[in-house]
Amino acid sequence: MNNTWGDMAQYDPLIWNWIIAIYLFMAGLSAGSVLIGIGMRWYSKDKSIESPILKASAIIGPVAICLGLACLVFDLTKPFHFWLILINYNFDSVMAMGVAALMAYMPLGFIYSIIVLRDDLAKWKLGFLTPIGNMFLPFRKVIEVLMFVLAIAVGAYTGFLISAMNAYPMLNTAILPALFLASGLSAGAAGNLIVALTCFNSSTHDGEVMKLHGLDLPVIITEMMFLFMLFTSLYFTGGAAAESLASLSQEVWGSVFWYGVVGIGFCIPILSMFLPSSTRHTKAMMLTVACCSLTGVLALRHFIVYAGQTYIS
Amino acid sequence: MNKRYVMVHDENKCIGCQACNIACRSENNVPEGVTRLQVRVEGPYGEAPNLHFKYHRVSCQQCEDAPCVSVCPTGAAYIDENGLVSIHNDKCVGCMYCIAACPYKVRFINPITKAADKCNFCKDTRLARGEQPACVTACPTDALYFGDANDSESEVALLLNTKITYQDKTHLGTKPRVYRIPTKRGGIES
Repeated sequence: MNNTWGDMAQYDPLIWNWIIAIYLFMAGLSAGSVLIGIGMRWYSKDKSIESPILKASAIIGPVAICLGLACLVFDLTKPFHFWLILINYNFDSVMAMGVAALMAYMPLGFIYSIIVLRDDLAKWKLGFLTPIGNMFLPFRKVIEVLMFVLAIAVGAYTGFLISAMNAYPMLNTAILPALFLASGLSAGAAGNLIVALTCFNSSTHDGEVMKLHGLDLPVIITEMMFLFMLFTSLYFTGGAAAESLASLSQEVWGSVFWYGVVGIGFCIPILSMFLPSSTRHTKAMMLTVACCSLTGVLALRHFIVYAGQTYIS
Repeated sequence: MNKRYVMVHDENKCIGCQACNIACRSENNVPEGVTRLQVRVEGPYGEAPNLHFKYHRVSCQQCEDAPCVSVCPTGAAYIDENGLVSIHNDKCVGCMYCIAACPYKVRFINPITKAADKCNFCKDTRLARGEQPACVTACPTDALYFGDANDSESEVALLLNTKITYQDKTHLGTKPRVYRIPTKRGGIES
């Protein structure tokens, strides 16, 4: 401190850090996993059995959002006052709308999980929950539709949350909620695949697994398109927005983007599709590709949070 | 809203002495390491021997369309009956959304209360007693003016009507209520 006006530490533009990036990742993973699980159930022919993919989403959905919210609460400067946010609502605030959505999404998510896993609960010494699952079974359709809608809200709200800040040109764009929803789907698909293959001993040639695997390419192409749209809109906006594109070529966040998001998240899954079918459909290969997708999505959240806050308009 | 409190900073008169900064600190018990108000001495600009500095006041701009108020999830950040952007310490959970959303980066977490904090034109202390904010009173060169711009007789209304002023980052649509009189370089002619 050698200026006349005092300490500059509080003026660091980086306010939200990696904890928030992890929360955004977890919320996207949870929402994406639920959307894929329920969506695939609606499109499957045999609705009488609970598919390993749906069971995986029944675990990832509630667990990921709980871990994410734990990050969020402990990032507050007053973590033990978090309940204030549950009773005071300012509906101009995207965060308040998100909290309201999560208040419905979380309990419903647990109920839906108990319904889906009702026959497996006894194996994990949670048999006492089975009657609750059976109790809600008649309302399954309604809960499913509500969960699907709420999952879209949760997945997109994380994008609206940071795009609501007009001080940051890279965040203040309409494309961010769509990008976050698409990359959440990619994370959800990868997460469901990993849990289905490892915890529920699903075969790599299972019809549902193959269908899920087929989703990879369209989701990645959508994400790439949204990213391209984000960067072109910044370029054409000019000023501070165009300057923020420098983050793509600067050391740390440039590397996170090109190696993490593009290299690991996009290129490895796409290149794996050129492998011979016998290699491509081995469990090890599928798990590797899914882990790469998850890493890419995590890298994308970090890039957006950090690079986004570096440039102020 | 019956009052429209504004502050005018005459950058011609300001000498960057930080008396306002210190007065604010003492009046509002601002803890060590954080500030509600700084005057940054920027520059020098120009070529020798015609160098000049710019004196840039950094404090809450008391926006009429305040981004910090609209993003606050609990309503802890609010606009009071006189239009001043204020904070309910006991409603704030410290999510830092307001700090991130502020385009002027003038909010901070108070290390003692753990709530978001910023300049409020001394509304709980000096304004409540019918006095001017501490920075205005302490300024040795009278570079600061404060008052109700809705009162056409007030000094600030007169200034805004007669002087060229600018506000920071008006392109973001926040309608800041800190006005600045830009430095007229080259001395006083008339």
